[in-house]
Amino acid sequence: MRPRSLQAALALCLLLFAAAAFAQAPRDYYRLGVLPLQSPTKLAAMFMPLADDLAKTLGRPVQFVTAPSFAAYMQRVQKREYDIIYLNPLLYTEARKYGYRAIAKVAQEPFTGILVVRKDGPIQRLDPKHLPDGLRIGFPDPNAFAATVMTRQYMRSLGIDVSKKFHIHYFRSQDSALMALYSGLVDITGTWRPSLRSMPGYVRAKLRIVAETPPQPQMPIAVRAGLPRPDVKRITDLLLRLGHGERGHAILKALGFEDGFVRATDAEYLGVRQ
Amino acid sequence: MNTIAEDVPAGMIAADAAKSNRLSWFATLRFRLILSVALVHAVLMGAFIWDAVTEQSDSIRAELQNRGHALSSLMAVATTNALLAEDLASLAEVIDRTQRQPDVSYAEVIDAEGNVLASTDPSRVGRRVTPRIQKSETMPLAPNDGVLDLRENIQVAGRDVGAVFVGMSTKNLHQALAATRDEGLLFILIALVVGSLAAWALSFATTRNLHAMTNAVRRITDGDLDVRVNIQSRDEVGLLARAFNAMVGSLQRTSRQVRLEHEKRTEAERLACVGELSASIAHEIRNPLSAIINSVQLMTRDNVPEADRRELAGIMTAESNRLQNILNDFLTFSRIPESKLAETDLCPLLRDTVLLLSNDPALPKSVKIQTRIHADECRARIDSDQMRQVFMNLILNGIQAMPDGGNLTVEVQPRGERLSVRVADTGRGIPDDMLDKVTRPFITGRKDGTGLGLSIVQRILMQHGTKLTIVSHKDVGTEVSFELESA
Repeated sequence: MRPRSLQAALALCLLLFAAAAFAQAPRDYYRLGVLPLQSPTKLAAMFMPLADDLAKTLGRPVQFVTAPSFAAYMQRVQKREYDIIYLNPLLYTEARKYGYRAIAKVAQEPFTGILVVRKDGPIQRLDPKHLPDGLRIGFPDPNAFAATVMTRQYMRSLGIDVSKKFHIHYFRSQDSALMALYSGLVDITGTWRPSLRSMPGYVRAKLRIVAETPPQPQMPIAVRAGLPRPDVKRITDLLLRLGHGERGHAILKALGFEDGFVRATDAEYLGVRQ
Repeated sequence: MNTIAEDVPAGMIAADAAKSNRLSWFATLRFRLILSVALVHAVLMGAFIWDAVTEQSDSIRAELQNRGHALSSLMAVATTNALLAEDLASLAEVIDRTQRQPDVSYAEVIDAEGNVLASTDPSRVGRRVTPRIQKSETMPLAPNDGVLDLRENIQVAGRDVGAVFVGMSTKNLHQALAATRDEGLLFILIALVVGSLAAWALSFATTRNLHAMTNAVRRITDGDLDVRVNIQSRDEVGLLARAFNAMVGSLQRTSRQVRLEHEKRTEAERLACVGELSASIAHEIRNPLSAIINSVQLMTRDNVPEADRRELAGIMTAESNRLQNILNDFLTFSRIPESKLAETDLCPLLRDTVLLLSNDPALPKSVKIQTRIHADECRARIDSDQMRQVFMNLILNGIQAMPDGGNLTVEVQPRGERLSVRVADTGRGIPDDMLDKVTRPFITGRKDGTGLGLSIVQRILMQHGTKLTIVSHKDVGTEVSFELESA
């Protein structure tokens, strides 16, 4: 066996061993798992103030974590590695199968997907008759509900077969997909409003929304089954109260959810289907 | 105290000069120049190398520390996203690449809860651990600490989300420091060798001409005034050589003139000496001859009684013997042959002479002779017959200087590479006005002496390359001594 192959094999063994160790280790802290909608550092900056407040409320550390991809995230959800999760409605319907239940959802604009183009790009209107062939479309991830699933459903409803009309590129995160559009790597990008708002002003100035999908239930926060009931109540109360205090406002500002959270029920998401 | 000493012979001066010219190597200019240059090189190069090694050592340490900090900072940046995403594969890749960096002993990434997400030690991955260190170490490290431990906290939005630990091995650093030190020592050694060789070459070029001049001086000392030095250099030594040659030329001319003058004076002195000697002989033989003539005239008379006639015959016999003694001494003095030097132990010779004279019935009972020989062997290059004559004359002189009795001491004592022979009496001493004349012929303080004894001694000793020294105190005694070179 060549040295590189040997190293790769060792790394794989190490990875499997480490993953197993994480999965099995008893913990005295909670893990807040956030769907990798954006870059890990941006997500950390958004969710760590919330994690800190949760830690104070629960009396134990709350660790912010995300995942390299939607798939990896869902694998960890499947293994119940996260105690608290923030994800899209579609993936929540999957997470339900592994014992997670929604306790709150984002209370702001309707949960929609948007299609964004460059102001000086080749696409000015989403009309199947006027779309030239050979266009390039960017998505963050095949499982990104608003950005990918909803926008593709919407274009299909307009008579646009994305697979045939576009060359599809996945960029792993919303930010990357938007930056690819800004840089001219693609001609149109599927995303959602919070991500577009988080872009720098000079980027936003070059982009415009060309279409928006019908709304779906907002992004939920769910907890793992088996979490102590008092802790679930404390988490729910904290999320619902965030809009009432100065500190809560600071947390919401960091999250980009100015209107805070409202209570969510599991039934709201039963109609969400790919 | 009165002393006299003859001029030291030229041969002895040359020998002494030759000895004084034999320098020990440590006293030579060459050695001093080499030593000076070597010392200067050693001190200056030592100081320079020490400074350079210190500076380089600090630089190497600082470089390792900076490299470690840069590496840990880069790791912190490179692992932030992977840490937050718990992307263990990416973290393992970063750790693997980090481990391949030079001097990295270990690398590790932990999250905010202390879980090891990636490490060069596979057994630690997945474990919750206490951080290796709370803050980074700085140089210099404690003794026996071969790893520089560095920590870089991973921060996002002002919060610690994990930490990176990197250990930088100081093994290569120590090897580099040792190599730098060895290199420095090698440079010092090379500087010493090169400097010494240069100093040797310089001193050789300088002292080679001086050696040529020294050899020329030795030949001049041995009497060769035809010698010249052939030095063509245009430096100070060349100037000295030309001045030296001019001086030798002048010395040669002067010597030639002196020799001519000396020959003239010697001839004049010889003639004067012949005249003086003739007068002395005439004076010495006139009295006994007059006594003989008068006795013969009286004996020719008719009415001389038989008793007077016998008395006159006795006078004639005594004076004739005196005339014979004078003539024998004079013949001895004038016919002293060239000395035939051979290595001989002179102590038995001295003892035999003392024994012979001690058993002489004519020796007054009141004279005591003591012999002190402070050596088992007294070997010297001498002419035995002539040296016996010297001992005989000196001892007889001493005995005759003590008509009322006294002590005569004969002593031989080694003095370094020479033997000192001393004959001392307790007689009446030599008057001051005669002290510097007693070695001349026919000068004597005794009425019955011929005045040739000490003259003979002095001539023999001169042929042995030495001289007679006389120290005399009135009414205390006289001490005569000379030295011979040990064989």
